[in-house]
Amino acid sequence: MTAVIVLLALAAATMLLLGILAGYLLGWASKTFHVEVDPRQEQVLVALPGANCGGCGYVGCAEYAEAVVQKGEQLDKCTVGGASCAKALAAILGVELKQSWPRRPIVHCGAKFADRLKRNEYLGEQTCSAANIISGVQGCAYGCLGLEDCERACRFDAIHMIDGLATVDYEKCVGCGACEKACPRHIISMVPFKAERMLAVTCSNKDPGRDVKAVCRVGCTGCGLCQKVSSLFKVEDNLSRIDYDAYDPGKTDEFQAAIEKCPMKRIVFVGKPSEKDLAAVAEEKLPGVIQPDFRTTADEAEWRG
Amino acid sequence: MTYVTSIILIAISTALINNMVFHFFVGNCPFIGVSRRVSTAFGMGAAVTFVTTLAALLSWTVTYFILRPSPCPSAAGGQPFTLAAWVWEKFGGNPKATVDLSILGYTVYIFLIAFAVQLVEMYVRKFFPPLYKAFGVFLPLITTNCVILFVCLEVSKHCIAGSPDFWNLDRTLIYSFFAGVGFMLAIVLMGGIREELDFANIPRPLRGPGITLIITGILALAFMGFTGVDKNLNELTRPKQAQAAKMVQTPSSPPAASTQPAGHNTVPQETPRLP
Repeated sequence: MTAVIVLLALAAATMLLLGILAGYLLGWASKTFHVEVDPRQEQVLVALPGANCGGCGYVGCAEYAEAVVQKGEQLDKCTVGGASCAKALAAILGVELKQSWPRRPIVHCGAKFADRLKRNEYLGEQTCSAANIISGVQGCAYGCLGLEDCERACRFDAIHMIDGLATVDYEKCVGCGACEKACPRHIISMVPFKAERMLAVTCSNKDPGRDVKAVCRVGCTGCGLCQKVSSLFKVEDNLSRIDYDAYDPGKTDEFQAAIEKCPMKRIVFVGKPSEKDLAAVAEEKLPGVIQPDFRTTADEAEWRG
Repeated sequence: MTYVTSIILIAISTALINNMVFHFFVGNCPFIGVSRRVSTAFGMGAAVTFVTTLAALLSWTVTYFILRPSPCPSAAGGQPFTLAAWVWEKFGGNPKATVDLSILGYTVYIFLIAFAVQLVEMYVRKFFPPLYKAFGVFLPLITTNCVILFVCLEVSKHCIAGSPDFWNLDRTLIYSFFAGVGFMLAIVLMGGIREELDFANIPRPLRGPGITLIITGILALAFMGFTGVDKNLNELTRPKQAQAAKMVQTPSSPPAASTQPAGHNTVPQETPRLP
């Protein structure tokens, strides 16, 4: 009996000894290796949701907090926390929050299957990321491939292929940016939506005008007409771009001329349908029988021998 | 066998033949969780290697001086005895008994691993901030990585002084370092494969961990091809005379027992069978 008690005492003493030793060492280490951190940084970290999702573009919440405090990173990058989180961060840092707009994707390609030239039959893996690494699937090396990588990435059923072109359903879109990351050709960009409908240049082709015309019926040739009539546009690498920081949806006269001048009609509005669009289809009859969509009932997995 | 050859043999038998992931199937959680990109996989592997070595050093020390079964000082007869045995005799325990505290093993090793991780995290954060940025995310995950606990238990198994397969401290350190290297090799290999898998059309039910586990199995089969490499290497590095002497020996006699540097480099008796 005493043997058991002594053995138990020995075990307990061992654990106690190790505990005291380790505790003392760790305590000493935490003092010796203490790193001075801006106290605001810890406050910011507490205010962040702590999801460590990487939605802001940093590895985790801690890194974003560091960037906010030390590098003056924008406060509204946290998509999980949203506006309330940005407000909390602004209160901690004692700065005024700039007005932030919801970010929504814009597909910078406007060519449907019929508009794309030099297309070839593609029998490989039916994903954009696979088709993108070989050449010759279609003439345009910049535009939408139409193999639905973005549609698969979208968890909100908000982007679909319509005639082979990725089209965003802005009613359903929440701006998570999954499609932007999924697109191997980087033709989808997240843009601050200052209005329900935003102006966009729906082309990504950076080749000179002649080459664009050889592969696409509707591509931007980089002619520079829009640049001449409006300061909002800037042609770089044979491609017109819109300066969204300067964009003001109220001042239509600034860009109305450019929309009319564009020979390819590539400057268009995207976003939720306008009242005019809704009125145009209001008279149309809905189909009497709605066919089930096989994709919602069958597995999408494909077997290719 | 020279010291360098024994190091090479331990390295090959731990990192390749008895690879932690492909032979023992430990450490599967980080292996599947962090192997999506080669860069992060490498970070995890390097962090595991570092912590494994440190934890093995700590656990060898604690096991050798406190936990292992040991005779009492008066009965030891010049053999090293543990602190526990000394205390046992001092406080009137039977001097002929063997004092064995190895029941504390699991608790103590987990304790030591957590302690090592904490210490490493603080140290790296202070003195190597870029390294902390690269590995910092993985360090807390390592506390529960079973590769490290496995290595500690393996070390404790071979920590009985006087037994033929006793590992001294340097062998323990070499073993644990290459156990970590083996894990790093496995996770980086898998990271590379999974980067390529992004381009493949995998049937939906198998996406993610499913296909990863299948590939792990195939890789494990491939790694079985390393079995026996250490033995042949050992033959090669042996002096010519010894080889000649061996050839003179009767063919039925078994090979010398010293051909096994690590504990588990024998051919597995049971080959895994498909169900």
